[in-house]
Amino acid sequence: MTPGRRPRTARLWPALCLFACTGSAQALQLESIDSSLTPAQAAATRQLLAEVIRRLPATWTEALDRRIDVEWRDDLPAEVHGRAKARQLLLKRALLDDWMARSPGVGVEDPDTRAVLAAVIHELAHFYDRSPQGRLSVDPRLLDLAGWQVSPMRFGLRLHDNAFRDRSPDDYELESPTEFVAVNLEWFLLDPAYACRRPALYDYFTAEFGSRPPRADCAPDLVYVQVGSDASLPPVLQLDPGRVYSVDYLFAEGNDRPMSRWGHSMLRLVICAPGRERGPGCRLDLQYHQVLSFRAFIDDVQISSWRGLTGSYPSRLYVLPLAQVIEEYTKVELRGLQSIPLRLDPSEIAGLLDRTATLHWSYDGDYYFINNNCAVETFKLLHDGVPRLAGADLSSITPTGLLRRLRDAGIADVTVIDDREAALRDGYYFEALSERYQAMFDVARESLGLPQKRVQDWMDLDPKQRAPWLERADLRASAALLLLEQAALRRQQALSRAEIKRRFFGHDRESNTEWADARGGLRNVLELEGLFSRPAALLPDRSYGQPQAEEREALTREGNRLAAHWREQSGWLRAEARRWLSEDRRTALDATEANVEALGERLRRLHREQGGLDLQGIS
Amino acid sequence: MNRLTLSCALLACFAAGPAFAGASTAGSSAGAATSGAGSSASSKTTSPDDEKVVRQARDDAASFVATDGRIRGAQLEAALRHLREKYSTAQRASDMQLAQAILAL
Repeated sequence: MTPGRRPRTARLWPALCLFACTGSAQALQLESIDSSLTPAQAAATRQLLAEVIRRLPATWTEALDRRIDVEWRDDLPAEVHGRAKARQLLLKRALLDDWMARSPGVGVEDPDTRAVLAAVIHELAHFYDRSPQGRLSVDPRLLDLAGWQVSPMRFGLRLHDNAFRDRSPDDYELESPTEFVAVNLEWFLLDPAYACRRPALYDYFTAEFGSRPPRADCAPDLVYVQVGSDASLPPVLQLDPGRVYSVDYLFAEGNDRPMSRWGHSMLRLVICAPGRERGPGCRLDLQYHQVLSFRAFIDDVQISSWRGLTGSYPSRLYVLPLAQVIEEYTKVELRGLQSIPLRLDPSEIAGLLDRTATLHWSYDGDYYFINNNCAVETFKLLHDGVPRLAGADLSSITPTGLLRRLRDAGIADVTVIDDREAALRDGYYFEALSERYQAMFDVARESLGLPQKRVQDWMDLDPKQRAPWLERADLRASAALLLLEQAALRRQQALSRAEIKRRFFGHDRESNTEWADARGGLRNVLELEGLFSRPAALLPDRSYGQPQAEEREALTREGNRLAAHWREQSGWLRAEARRWLSEDRRTALDATEANVEALGERLRRLHREQGGLDLQGIS
Repeated sequence: MNRLTLSCALLACFAAGPAFAGASTAGSSAGAATSGAGSSASSKTTSPDDEKVVRQARDDAASFVATDGRIRGAQLEAALRHLREKYSTAQRASDMQLAQAILAL
């Protein structure tokens, strides 16, 4: 109660009584008790309250089975539209003026009208939340959906901060769970697009109240920003949850490097090709599969343990084509990938995917190597996306630990990788390419009589020393040598990166205008990558939640423009970077590339000469 | 921009694949390394060498051909099924014939 207010007793003129549910003696009564209101103001107040009550679900008004006094006040802080006291609803008087000044016939599309209705709904939501039937702001499911996530490091306690900051309808919702509930109930009741923009919360509230406010026609499918080097692909990936046959836990095995020792956890979406019925056959539609991967957005040269421990890298949910992930792990990093199916029913898969879209558009968390790493993020995604899994004891801070718990809870079927050969064939295991190197070398050695015994000795040769052998290989040996030359090329690329890093930033770093150009180019590339990793940044601030039709168009336009710019800049940098290499390095890189090229040429010629099947002319 | 920031993008420079993905903990991608063996762009719009599933099977096809069919990876399996679903000629061809054809693209 504000100090200095006069006692209200005996000042009840006119007592405006509104019965939400006529016929129920226990119904909510909203009474305006302000004696200073003109008859017109009193009538407007009555009309406003009736308008609000008309919109409330019956279960809501029934829960507030008592009288609430409504007061128009001049002394609320500037930013405050209303207050819900124990038995009083205080409202900013200016809202009444707005309400009375509105043009006849306008609805919630008018901002002033909406603001008045929202203020009253917001405060009544607080009353509801406090009632025994309400208690939404302490419901674990609401907290999951809202973004006050559980933390494995805090024995299941929830994080204090809500990191779902992007594309919020009203930042005030992040203040606390009670404000989240009140703000979201405003949107639930007043915005027909709420069902499209925050579908999981819309479903939660409709289940809570047993009634559905009007809803708009939603744009179909979920959308994600996905920009890669392939210019033929649109920058917006559209995903129909009905086409996802399975969700696999995709585990990248660890290696010796400090940041990769524990492996990496991701989720693979087994998406069926258009026209294929949802079923096991979809497992081989690899070109349609996508991977959800939480990564730190790293903008420095080496992963800094200090920054990782203190959480100054943003944690972002990337949606990547499966082929790219296979390439990165099995061919570049030489780590195996296990793809373990999770036992989820179609409705659980749909819920999980909706959660991923929410994360993609709204989440801006911080990456901590220990307590908010990929395993923790993946755990939280499963926990928040599939209510059944929130009840399982999955909490873990390592990718292997999470897999073990998923297995123990009967959710992950790890038997699929027991038979290694079948697992490779069916795509449950993608082995590190290095596992094949020795076998490849043995094939070539036997065929060509190579003097080296170990593949390592062969790879350590100067590429020009290997070249003459390549010209004598038959089809089988050429195939084997191709894999090895490609491996050699990746190694040369890694060495080149290391050299450039040294020349750029080492003691002997050079400073001239050329390098300044390069720095400018790099800055551009990095800024663009930052934008792509935080999709909300590509859209105007005016909208919230999952993007709808108009925003998707804008997103495609803007995404195309930025992606073209990014491809151009990074292409220029790649070309430039070659010039910065030492002559030795450049010679080795060129020679290895020439070997790869020559083997490709040779394979084509041998195939032709043997009268092999020509796929170019196939029908 | 500090010099650390600068060098990260440099790391991505040599990745012919998306430098975007390269700027993450998972390291850089090297898409061009595998396609570097000379898959030439075709003027036809729907020939198999334009099809991702086929291009992405080249390493698996090489392993299959080199080991006389002993190593069968899922990316090759996916390409074989795709070719047979789409082209009647492919239905009559053996796995090895198709794997060699993929390798020769």
